[in-house]
Amino acid sequence: MSGGIARGRLAEERKSWRKNHPHGFVAKPETQPDGTVNLMVWHCTIPGKLGTDWEGGYFPLTLNFSEDYPSKPPKCKFPQGFFHPNVYPSGTVCLSILNEDSGWRPAITVKQILVGIQDLLDQPNPADPAQTEGYHLFIQDAAEYKKRVRQQAKQYPPLV
Amino acid sequence: MERIMSFADFLEDLDSLFDYRRVQPIPILDEKLSEDGIVDGDREVSQVTNDDEDWLLPPPKDSSESPKQIDVDSTIKELRLRKQELKAFPTKQCLFQPKRESDSVQAALESGAEEPSKPHHERAKIVISIQDKDEIKQYRVYKDEKFERLFKRYADKAKLQIESLVFTFDGDKINLTATPDSLGMDDEDIIEVLAKKN
Repeated sequence: MSGGIARGRLAEERKSWRKNHPHGFVAKPETQPDGTVNLMVWHCTIPGKLGTDWEGGYFPLTLNFSEDYPSKPPKCKFPQGFFHPNVYPSGTVCLSILNEDSGWRPAITVKQILVGIQDLLDQPNPADPAQTEGYHLFIQDAAEYKKRVRQQAKQYPPLV
Repeated sequence: MERIMSFADFLEDLDSLFDYRRVQPIPILDEKLSEDGIVDGDREVSQVTNDDEDWLLPPPKDSSESPKQIDVDSTIKELRLRKQELKAFPTKQCLFQPKRESDSVQAALESGAEEPSKPHHERAKIVISIQDKDEIKQYRVYKDEKFERLFKRYADKAKLQIESLVFTFDGDKINLTATPDSLGMDDEDIIEVLAKKN
């Protein structure tokens, strides 16, 4: 039953996304090799905010929804080794609104998740580090941190 | 008693004299037609008889037609049949309507695959949103129309070269020869436009 709820909600999320979403963002359910759509996995793109060191980067993010969605949040993953204080080495994003025991609410939309992660890119939360490199550079070497962020943005140019 | 008997005899005599059924059996077809309510045709026939031979008493109703028809020349006969046919047509149509309906339903079911192709002939339209970093604008285009035309329209309005722009749908670049149909787009789907960086 919960699976039906998850898929129903995700179908609605997708429908609303197609009609309205922030510029530069992409969010679409995965198409499997046999051509069928898997609503439980979404491939997204988060653009770096204009006017920040992240500008020009189009960062790929995968959302993995469970059958318990929207009671539980999706797992959001950047590519492995993504440089950011609040991203685990596995690429999983650590953000309060994505934490079931903290800020997650079933009413939070896919759009809000993606915009929330875009905000996080330029506004890391030093109180909740998830990787050593990003965290240490952020608090110890601002210049090097900036350089690394710009470098990474160049690694993810627009796909088109 | 005797009188009644004679009257009965008289009736019998009259009957034998005037009952044309004995001379000529009524064609089954005519009977059927009159049952279907083709009264006008019958009336016409009897009127014609009256006009032609008004010195004769009008013959009994159901038999009036048959003996006359023998004399009628073949062209008029044919015309009359035509007329009857035409008059019978609406009635027949009524009788056959249920069948026709089921026929058309069946036909519709059979041609189910053809139905969706109809909108193509009518050139269905779709509302497409084009979003840049500042705003979102909506355009009405044909579903089977190449995007080239819409993108040129957009570029002209924005006073930009079409070559300097990239149009994407769901993160994928849109080919100028693609159409809303070929990309499976729905009403108000968003196309994003980005400026190419040199």
